[in-house]
Amino acid sequence: MSYLSTIDFAEDKDFVDRFQRTMKGDLDLSWLDAPREKIRCTPLNPRRGLTFRDLDVAPYGYTAMPEVIRGNRGFAPRGAAEPDGLPDLQAEVSRKSEVWAYNIEGYYEEAMSRQWNATTDLPWDDMINANLPEPIGKAYAQLLTFLTEVEMIATDVPAKWLGRLNADFFEVKNFIATQAMDEARHAEVFRKRALTTGYGLMRASAHNEHNLKFLRDADSFAESSLTLHLQAEGMVLTLFRFSEYIAPTEADKKMFRLVMQDEARHVGYGMQHLKWVIDHQPEKREQIHRHLDEAENFIFGAGYAVESMEPFIILSGKGLKKENIQQGLRITNNFQIKQSEEYFERLAKCGLPERRERSKLWKLVELAKQAAI
Amino acid sequence: MGVRFPSVGFFEALRSRMTVARDRFSRLGFFDTTFGVRVGNGTTPNEFSLTFEVFDCTAVREGVRQSEVDFVIEGPAAAWREMLDNIHALGAADTTHSLNTLTHFGEHLRLCYDDPDGHDKMYRFAESIQAFFDLSAEVDFDYADSTRPPGRATAAERRVGA
Repeated sequence: MSYLSTIDFAEDKDFVDRFQRTMKGDLDLSWLDAPREKIRCTPLNPRRGLTFRDLDVAPYGYTAMPEVIRGNRGFAPRGAAEPDGLPDLQAEVSRKSEVWAYNIEGYYEEAMSRQWNATTDLPWDDMINANLPEPIGKAYAQLLTFLTEVEMIATDVPAKWLGRLNADFFEVKNFIATQAMDEARHAEVFRKRALTTGYGLMRASAHNEHNLKFLRDADSFAESSLTLHLQAEGMVLTLFRFSEYIAPTEADKKMFRLVMQDEARHVGYGMQHLKWVIDHQPEKREQIHRHLDEAENFIFGAGYAVESMEPFIILSGKGLKKENIQQGLRITNNFQIKQSEEYFERLAKCGLPERRERSKLWKLVELAKQAAI
Repeated sequence: MGVRFPSVGFFEALRSRMTVARDRFSRLGFFDTTFGVRVGNGTTPNEFSLTFEVFDCTAVREGVRQSEVDFVIEGPAAAWREMLDNIHALGAADTTHSLNTLTHFGEHLRLCYDDPDGHDKMYRFAESIQAFFDLSAEVDFDYADSTRPPGRATAAERRVGA
């Protein structure tokens, strides 16, 4: 109990008197006098329902929100009257360009309408009854262990930032809340699948966990979003697509299609946020590059760790025989090239086309391409 | 009376089935994208644009304007045929014929896009797009050479195939 009230309300004569007068019908009603805009929002598209975009009207909307939030220091919903005496919550992020994204309200509505349930939306019987031969089963269990590890931190990071953002960033906070729920569901579904393969959870990865620690400990939300939403989730999105490609059953494919939908939405937010940052704070370009320099170092270590890479080789080659390994190496190398190319494509689209030239990771992609030839 | 693949009529038939299956698509969530379908690699491929909004397919048009679509799924007629035959026989794509699998490395079908954000919509709406094409299992259609997709496999045949 670190935050204590400055008033003992039960012993405060004025407060208790006011309470007693109210209970006798002597209402204060001062809140009725707050000058408010009278607004009744309606859905622009009734088929879609009432969305955040329909609420974007002054003084409640987000379009007119200033870059720097100086007024609201507490939990006051944006547009509400703010009486004296509200607490200062000391939000760590009160600058719009550090959190905002084009179409943030659309990503939130999409997230809410595309939720799914790991317990009931998947044909678990089909997965449980699929007998996977040992090398395939163990490799799949290792992949699922790796993915569970990744998704747990992907839950922690947005949850960590949620309470640190100014309350005026209502739409971003709600989107981040959906992301935390999505990632929790991913951790849930991969853990459940690992424990239904017949092999259980395999080995955690030190390289991977150092990368996850780097993601968790970002110095700012903007850095955190850059590495989580755009870089890590972008790479994981390609990884989910690859996992769908090599998944052993139709039910497993459905599982990967469902998680990839959520992941692609988070990547969409990350892209639109980075575009917003570059459009509104162009001076941050060098800082972004410096953060990516280290982020790419970590992600190379994590993505190419034996615990993450070798299961892909075995799963895509469909076994451990020499010819399987050769086939698996070829397919996995193509996947890794694709994964990095898509990452650099996204950065270029966000306004960082020069990233390729600067990146050590891109040089490694070039090496991988030569190996593929 | 059946429709022909590829044609506007074929995609209109999928669109009608989607309306009938509205509960299923509502459960999958908002589905907002316009994408292209290109069948055939020759100089005159058959092209269609499909627009989805909220839970419905709202427009089917002949032709693709690259600037108006998020991505285009393209491939030779034989690859499309293999996918549709598989869906028709099984009721839904199997492990080797899901759209993601067929397009992942561009070995069978390929995704074309100018904007990576548009490209990612293929994955944001992956389950809805797959469900849309799986509706072709319910459509009576034939191919340009007048042959038809195989009838629905029995459970025993599916097990043998697996």
